Amino acid sequence: MPAGDSISPLVAGLWLLNIVLDSGGQLAFKAAAGDETAGDGLARWKHMAARPWLWLGVGCYVIEFLVWIAFLSLVPLSEGVLLGSINIVAIMVAGRILFGEKLTRLRIAGILLVTLGVAIVGLGG
Amino acid sequence: MRRFYLFGFLLLMGFDSLAQISFKYAGTQALPVEVNVAWLLRVFGQPWVYGAIVGYVGAFFTWMALLKHAPIGPAFAASHLEVVSVMLLSVWLFDEQLTLVRVAGASAIIAGIVCLGFAENSEHAAAPGPAAADT
Repeated sequence: MPAGDSISPLVAGLWLLNIVLDSGGQLAFKAAAGDETAGDGLARWKHMAARPWLWLGVGCYVIEFLVWIAFLSLVPLSEGVLLGSINIVAIMVAGRILFGEKLTRLRIAGILLVTLGVAIVGLGG
Repeated sequence: MRRFYLFGFLLLMGFDSLAQISFKYAGTQALPVEVNVAWLLRVFGQPWVYGAIVGYVGAFFTWMALLKHAPIGPAFAASHLEVVSVMLLSVWLFDEQLTLVRVAGASAIIAGIVCLGFAENSEHAAAPGPAAADT
């Protein structure tokens, strides 16, 4: 994608899919690891393996791996890694919504700056 | 101990950069993008995709080892600074250009990551694990 071109629907779709899969994977792992009835050591792993969260997380990551390859094959790498930084924001917002994690002023500043940077790259070509 | 951190973060950045560069090579060689078995065969039929896996696995274990000792805030920030190394490497390897737009975007993103690093640090006690060394 040479500078100045707008982002194609396929690229935008892969980018969105990457955000959904990355956040979904992280949240699934968080749900798996945060289960306090799981016990310790090997028992904990058995407990997690018998429930869907761990596998949902693994599934998200496997598909994300392929989506990211497809995405990067369509955009310059330097732009791709910058656009991918939005995952940091997505996971923090999702953590706030689903797990009630707090957003301090410093976190909000960080989220806005990363979003601004991604917007500059995405809209500015 | 300072040397341990520095080495650890450089190693992490190295594995992350290896992964991203491998992704790019793997994807480029598998073009055009299609949702079918032929595309998957093209992806897994050349060595770069395995470089990406090595990079991911290496980054994961380096990250886990670092987190045992390093404070989470700086660790979080450092683990995402691979955007800098990847940008520089893509100028060299893929003839990409450091356009004004990219440098401006990267600067804002890096400033944001540094803010988030400080945010994690000041709430270390309550903070949950951050995103692993991911994309």
